[in-house]
Amino acid sequence: MTLHRLRLQGFRNLEDATLELPAEGVALVGANAQGKSNFLEAIHYLEIFRSCRGTRDTRLIRFGEDFFRLEARIGPGASSVPEPGGDAPRSRSVAAAVQRAGPIKKVTVDGEEPPRIGDALGEMGSVLFTPDDVRLVADGPQERRRFLDIVLSVNAPGYLEALQRYRQVLAQRNAALRDRAPRATVEAWDPLLAGAGARVLRMRAAWVRAGAPTFRSVVEEVSGGERGVLAYQPGVPGGPGAPGNPGTPGSGAFPAVQPDEHEAASIDAPWGDWFAGALREGLEADRRRGTTLIGPHRDEFTMGLEPDGEDPAPKGGRDLREYGSGGQKRTAALALRILEAETVLRRRGRPALLLLDDVFAELDADRSERVLGLLDRTAAGQVVLTAPKDADVRFRHDRLPRWRISGGRIETGGEGG
Amino acid sequence: MSALDELVREFGRLPGVGPRTATRLVYHLLRGRREDAHRLAGAIEALLERVRPCSRCGTFAEADLCEVCRDPSRERSLVCVVEGAFEVQSIEKTRRYRGLYHVLGGRLSPLDGVGPDDLAVAALAERIESGQEGIVEVILATSPSVEGEATAVYLEGVLRPLGVRVTRLARGIPVGSDLEYVDGSTLAEALAGRREVRAETPAQAVGADHEDMLLRE
Ligand SMILES: [Zn+2]
Repeated sequence: MTLHRLRLQGFRNLEDATLELPAEGVALVGANAQGKSNFLEAIHYLEIFRSCRGTRDTRLIRFGEDFFRLEARIGPGASSVPEPGGDAPRSRSVAAAVQRAGPIKKVTVDGEEPPRIGDALGEMGSVLFTPDDVRLVADGPQERRRFLDIVLSVNAPGYLEALQRYRQVLAQRNAALRDRAPRATVEAWDPLLAGAGARVLRMRAAWVRAGAPTFRSVVEEVSGGERGVLAYQPGVPGGPGAPGNPGTPGSGAFPAVQPDEHEAASIDAPWGDWFAGALREGLEADRRRGTTLIGPHRDEFTMGLEPDGEDPAPKGGRDLREYGSGGQKRTAALALRILEAETVLRRRGRPALLLLDDVFAELDADRSERVLGLLDRTAAGQVVLTAPKDADVRFRHDRLPRWRISGGRIETGGEGG
Repeated sequence: MSALDELVREFGRLPGVGPRTATRLVYHLLRGRREDAHRLAGAIEALLERVRPCSRCGTFAEADLCEVCRDPSRERSLVCVVEGAFEVQSIEKTRRYRGLYHVLGGRLSPLDGVGPDDLAVAALAERIESGQEGIVEVILATSPSVEGEATAVYLEGVLRPLGVRVTRLARGIPVGSDLEYVDGSTLAEALAGRREVRAETPAQAVGADHEDMLLRE
């Protein structure tokens, strides 16, 4: 989708404004702490309806204000071109508001409140790149699960519901284990846990499998020859491919077209049987420890580098989290975001809106040169990027329109380089 | 606190009644005839005095046994297990069910400290084992929520060894909804299409807010 117009009210330090965005995008230039990241956060808020930095909603309201409100006009193509009639996708309006009192949160799409906020996820089709992304590689597995959960909740129908159900059942089962409840009381939750968990496992596995080739080639291009390995390690003993376990889904298994409910249930079934069997085997261990030790809540997906030649590295490659340099970790994180953009393209049939928050700041000159080339080719759609200095805006041969930001005030009159 | 404010507060505790409605109700009582208000107070008193759980099935009764349990025309080999007495009333309204009931008094929820001992599970097993009623089939009509499903799984494990047929309401009841909000014909169909319990449940939607899921693990 292309973001044509953005209306800001009471959000962080940003001055209230209605901004018209060029179809190719814009480069926002300003010194640190002037509001560059807040601007991208505002746009991305309308994609996931929460802060990308994990800030609580009411803390996004500007000091002294009662509420914030964000509204985007999104649509196909250039804003100057009149929209063709017929079945061309029409433009839409996505809005979110949070009121301090209550607090009350309201999300609308074309003026209508969806039944659940989850139904409005992903309308913008935006993908945010920040220097913080390195944590996806450097931090613990929880960061990576969170990343995958957001990408799949936004782009894979049925995932969010299965995940919520899984979490609810898991909380109940763990409460029973914590209370040292009798065996039968714990087991009562197992068919439900296996049913919901099966779908979470299956969809995560499909995403990693479908994305592995892209991950490999992006890492190869940016690093100048090192091949990246993205692998899924389910938090259930065995793992896809092991004897008695369901095979990994076929190539391209990430659902561009979602199977219907009946079909989906039958695809889930082998994963459910596998998980249910593991739960049975692990029951006594779970009861001793007072918590559920296996399941998708213990999933991990690892990023590594393929060994070159005789290097006797383990299967799955040398683990980047443990052995990667700063530059290698940043490269892998960037590759994950590019995978996310590819997922949006596959799901929505339109290039993602790329939000690049000072992404070249931490990369060495060689890598950032190659990232530039890669993004220039990948980013078929609109790009909104931020940089501290004019000289840092090299994207698209310096031709992006230039805006300035200072003290939360955005000046749109600037000239391209 | 004034008597007026106190009654507003009490009305406000009732389900579906907000402070505005509560206030309106109290002013209505004050403006109306005094005997009307007395009658309401008397009806509440009588309710508390006369209504008790049925000693057999646990639904509300004004005698030792409820009307259903006393009705000789009801099919005694069939027992429908529900979470609360309110659901008995919902199913009765369909006029399509001719068996008896058993009220659990809740559903399994370890997070809320509710285990099997807090529900009328032992009483149900006793009804079956005693053989007095000749129970052949038990229909599990717990709600299609996660907790209701787990309760059904648990009951199946308890009941199957007792040699009775165990069935579950058919799908068609909107997932995540409570029986109380299901219309009569849907409920009647679900009863007619009840199925044998199998230890497998497909993933289903729940109505929790997405915020929770995105923020924490
Ligand atoms: Zn009775």
